Amino acid sequence: MNTFYAANLLIYAGIDIIACLALNLQFGVSGIVNFSFIVFQSVGAYTAAVLSMPPDTANFGFQHYIGGYELPFPIPWIGAVVAGGLLAVPVGLVVLRKLRSDYQAIALLVLSVIANTVITNADKFLGGAGGISLVPSPVGDRITPRTEPYEYFYIGITAVCVAVAFLVVNRVVNSPYGRSLRAMREREIAAAAIGKNPVQLKMTIFIVGGMIAGLSGAILVGYINVWGPTVWLYPETIILFAAIIVGGRGNNIGAILGALLVPVGFEEVTRLINSNGTLANFGPPGLLSALQWVAIGLLILGFLWFRPQGVRPEPRRVFEGGPE
Amino acid sequence: MNLFIAAFGFGLVSMSVIAIAAVGFTMQFGITNMINLAYGGVMISSAYVAYYLNKAGVSVWIGMAAGALFGSVFSFLLNRFIYAPFMRKGTAHLGMVIVSLAVSLMIANLLLPIVGYYPVSYQEDTGGLIHLGPIALTRDQFIVIGVAIVLMLAIHALLTYTRLGKAMRATAANPTLARNCGIPTNRVIDAVWLITGALCGMAGVVAALNAGTFVIDNGAAFLITILAAAVLGGAGQPYGAMIGAVIIGLMTELSAAAWSPQYKEVVAFGVLVLVMVLRPQGLLAKRGALAAAG
Repeated sequence: MNTFYAANLLIYAGIDIIACLALNLQFGVSGIVNFSFIVFQSVGAYTAAVLSMPPDTANFGFQHYIGGYELPFPIPWIGAVVAGGLLAVPVGLVVLRKLRSDYQAIALLVLSVIANTVITNADKFLGGAGGISLVPSPVGDRITPRTEPYEYFYIGITAVCVAVAFLVVNRVVNSPYGRSLRAMREREIAAAAIGKNPVQLKMTIFIVGGMIAGLSGAILVGYINVWGPTVWLYPETIILFAAIIVGGRGNNIGAILGALLVPVGFEEVTRLINSNGTLANFGPPGLLSALQWVAIGLLILGFLWFRPQGVRPEPRRVFEGGPE
Repeated sequence: MNLFIAAFGFGLVSMSVIAIAAVGFTMQFGITNMINLAYGGVMISSAYVAYYLNKAGVSVWIGMAAGALFGSVFSFLLNRFIYAPFMRKGTAHLGMVIVSLAVSLMIANLLLPIVGYYPVSYQEDTGGLIHLGPIALTRDQFIVIGVAIVLMLAIHALLTYTRLGKAMRATAANPTLARNCGIPTNRVIDAVWLITGALCGMAGVVAALNAGTFVIDNGAAFLITILAAAVLGGAGQPYGAMIGAVIIGLMTELSAAAWSPQYKEVVAFGVLVLVMVLRPQGLLAKRGALAAAG
């Protein structure tokens, strides 16, 4: 276990925690089944990438993308946050206004598949199927990337972002506003009857969640320096859903726990099982990764069946003077 | 101009394939209240069943019957052992959507190591071109259109003239009332899964035949087109799904001729978005997507 492995693990954990906090705000607290969550993360990643990269004529023009502004560090990330929020506006206006909640889920799932198809086929827009590579690391001109100090620096900024995301989400969830969200989740008609506007609540949360998702994408692309359609296929969203369901719907600590257990823990355990490579030739090619997905499915079904409230259930909020 | 007439011919084939699939999907939703996102997965599994039979020397059409049988049994078991228990347990509507998505993920990934990543195709003599006016299609494509017409008429007859069909409609309208009138709704629902599963399996084989070559990922693409057709017609409405299939089938093929075949699903999605904005209840339904989730 060397420093790089540990740093890698910590940074991935941070990114997954941020993503799970945002998804928990949408799905766990407000009941929006955002099956296109990964699209918002991806929009953040693409935005951060094209804002920080040189124009596509650089490097002999081997890849094609729009933009290329070479902006200094915090600006691409801020751009990613804004892009995530901006994307949420049209999507939310189409999906969240009139449709029944299960239709919303389907529409978002379809959006996720279609967005991926479009980006894959539009090869001049964001690199097409090959994606974009050589995305500069943030502050890479002052601290050399892929050195120990840089890893510590990146862990630091990731941690700051985790803290900010947690504070924002926690503040929303524990405020009177969060109470309105939970009321809407439990019974939308009743919430509307006492004067809450469900569309407005959903739109706000959709935008806030989209912004946080965009941030998580920016952190990820700054670290791995590449982005392409294959890293944001729709099943990636299902992993995050599995994390929320395992951790505990509606509970922020549960979302963090879920992020550590499913995307981080699960991947690492399967990697460790296979660390000496003996399983590499086990069964037909691709068997192990396929079985990983099957296990994610089983995890979701198992938790929904045996413990739908998750490892850390949402705290039951009791108000003084109310009936027991 | 000739290009568009040819595309119209392909549109006829496409709409036949989509109609078979979308009617099954929408009946599952209308009668059992289950949005089965694993539908595409069952379709592609059935297509592979037919593929292995075909590889062993059996004709594609017998393979299609086998695919229908497989889809039927598979869907029935899926409901018996996964969906129905979760529903009995009181899992909410949205929870069921997540369950079916997890199931679809599992089907695709259990299948993957068995069938591999590489595209496959049926060994079939397509029987040469048959010209019908300016439209030229292969014999197989005409058979697909014929199969679809026969199936649509059969579904119409089933729903209109048989006791089972009437029981299905009663169950769709109000399950509690249907049960109180002495309709064995559980057996009706079993029958629905068997029948729609057969449609699903058959649709999988003809869709694979129509696509030429296929891989596992086609399951997701099938699902999107079906969702578009079903939602366009008004979810839960078999006749609506038929109309939706006609529109989506024609539009995807004409747009492929005018624009690019890579964006077929994108066009289907565009239709879906338009419907969701302008008429969320679909063409035929009175309430459909607008009603509060049960």
